[in-house]
Amino acid sequence: MTDHVIEVRDLRKEFGAFVAVRDVSFHVERGEIFGYLGANGAGKSTTIRMLCGLMAPSGGAATVAGHDVGRDPMKVKSSIGYMSQKFSLYRDLVAEHNLEFFGGIYGLRGKTLSRAIDAAVERTGLAPHRKAMTGSLPGGIRQRLALACSILHSPEIVFLDEPTAGVDPAARRDFWRLIRELSSAGTTVFVTTHYMDEAEYCARIGLMVDGALVALDTPRHLKEKYVPGVTLAVSGRDLHRAIAAAAALPGVIAAEPFGARVHVRFEEGRVDEAAVRALFSREGRVDRVETIEASLEDVFLAVVGAGEKKEDAA
Amino acid sequence: MRSLTRIWALAAKEVRHVLRDPRSLYLALGMPVVMLLLFGYGVSFDLDGLPLAFVDLDQSQTSRELRQRFTSGPEFVDGGLIDEDEAEGRLVSGRAMAVIVIEHGFERHLRRGEDAHLQVLIDGSDNNGATQTRAKTEMMGRIFGFQAATRVVSASGSAIEARTWTRFNPESRSAVFLVPGITAYVLAIVAVLLTALTVAREWERGSMAQLFATPVGRLEIVIGKLIPYMVVGTLAVLLVLGVGMWVFDMPFRGSPLALAVLSVLFLAGMLGQGLFISVLTRNQMVATQAATMSSMLPSMLLSGFVFPIENMPQVLQYITVVVPARYFVEGLRGVLLRGNGLEELWPNALALLAFALLMMVLSTARFRRTIA
Repeated sequence: MTDHVIEVRDLRKEFGAFVAVRDVSFHVERGEIFGYLGANGAGKSTTIRMLCGLMAPSGGAATVAGHDVGRDPMKVKSSIGYMSQKFSLYRDLVAEHNLEFFGGIYGLRGKTLSRAIDAAVERTGLAPHRKAMTGSLPGGIRQRLALACSILHSPEIVFLDEPTAGVDPAARRDFWRLIRELSSAGTTVFVTTHYMDEAEYCARIGLMVDGALVALDTPRHLKEKYVPGVTLAVSGRDLHRAIAAAAALPGVIAAEPFGARVHVRFEEGRVDEAAVRALFSREGRVDRVETIEASLEDVFLAVVGAGEKKEDAA
Repeated sequence: MRSLTRIWALAAKEVRHVLRDPRSLYLALGMPVVMLLLFGYGVSFDLDGLPLAFVDLDQSQTSRELRQRFTSGPEFVDGGLIDEDEAEGRLVSGRAMAVIVIEHGFERHLRRGEDAHLQVLIDGSDNNGATQTRAKTEMMGRIFGFQAATRVVSASGSAIEARTWTRFNPESRSAVFLVPGITAYVLAIVAVLLTALTVAREWERGSMAQLFATPVGRLEIVIGKLIPYMVVGTLAVLLVLGVGMWVFDMPFRGSPLALAVLSVLFLAGMLGQGLFISVLTRNQMVATQAATMSSMLPSMLLSGFVFPIENMPQVLQYITVVVPARYFVEGLRGVLLRGNGLEELWPNALALLAFALLMMVLSTARFRRTIA
């Protein structure tokens, strides 16, 4: 039997008539990086808050590290680390004092506390910033400090709610390196994000649309399922005139402008590069045609699009 | 054990906040002293050098003696002899606090042991001054009458002599009476404000949400927050009483234990009230206003600090029952001036304890709802 460190069954949250989370079920395996994706207001944060014992579910059940989130929120809180969307450490304390405070809150003291702080500082590369005033640290380092504060008590699971929002790309990359290190050391990481490039780092991804979990799989499988076929990126001039014609070709699944380029996706074997090049050359000038791999962004758009179509039908 | 560790961590963090930005410390320790000095020197209900004018219709030895006697104390100065028709003008222009009219035949009436009359016209625009002037002139008039009568009677053998003796504050100094009230007043404001601000700040900055994601309990947060401010508040009490004793010669006649018990309970109640406000408002701006209003007005107006509770309309008297400052002011006066101990003041301690517990329970209960 696999080791499910998070187990969610028909989890539901209602705020009056509004259903924020709609009967969601999934599990997370020990040591995995689990990504939770969705637009703002899709129910990501509400789910995370229920799993952290911050909010009681309206229906269904979830166990986190073996504790029921509705019945035993305090035990859940002791076994997890939580880093909220909003930076919520104390800006008027030096970095080290924030660490001491959160260590104390998790019941650590004396030698255990100072060892835990040393370890967390080491792990997150904060050694040069230990004595710095928290409010004066740059965003990326602050995020690392927040992470350090949430792993002091060696939790089984770390919940990161939009940990890299508003952080520059280099700092985001560093932060994800930390997340991967945590995971390979055996800590389960549950992370929400709306940066699709970050989601590629996750072992598995759940996609939320309007409170429902509409897709859940590895990034690779999600791409195969929602963005099947081969995608060619055509660059050149006056390409837009041929988009409609390209979309009408038999075997073409979609032809869409994508930045300055046009993406043409088709079922493998039914169309080839030469045919696409010929079509676009008729109306404009083709500079380059290259095969690209579908991104999670494409998956996201495909899934959200499917959701919207379903709504239209209903 | 873990619970203690958590409370300790919270308290230590709070101390660091305060040390990092000591303005709240200045507020807590400086404001009480400044206010005590301002009130102590500025607010005085003592009569001092008020001008008395005299209309002497008797023109006798006795009437001159009366005039001299009335103005020999510190309360009144001689505003001079005037004509009867000038009296009104003196009062209207404010050149006299009161006009004493000595009737024609004053000396003769006294000699014969008959009723002798004085008319006292008082400027009532300053209510407190008027009340005190009335009381003082009445008393002086009576004493004068007694003494004059005694001289007559003593010839025939018997003597009546009136001696008043004001216990506990023999010189009737306002400062001595005011210090306990001011202590309660400034402590109430500072304590309520301090906690209201620090907890509201946690909500505003989002750190409260972060705390809720940790295994720290609501009561632990409440206690951890209160301990450091309890210490600050205790220092403020000692400081205010010290200044009161040193600058205003405040006596300390009663039990230090009673003082400690009352102060700690009062502080706990006020800090709890601040906590409750900030749990409700979660916003520093609103919390500041609510804290100031809810602490300042009752502890000033309904505590007996300025206006004696017995003189209030019945409805207000009932309201003062739930004003903790009332019990503290009463208790402080008891300990400092009357030399009381807990034997006399246990009902006050009990009332303060009840208020403190109520505030703790209310704040903890409100915390719960916000998490669910």
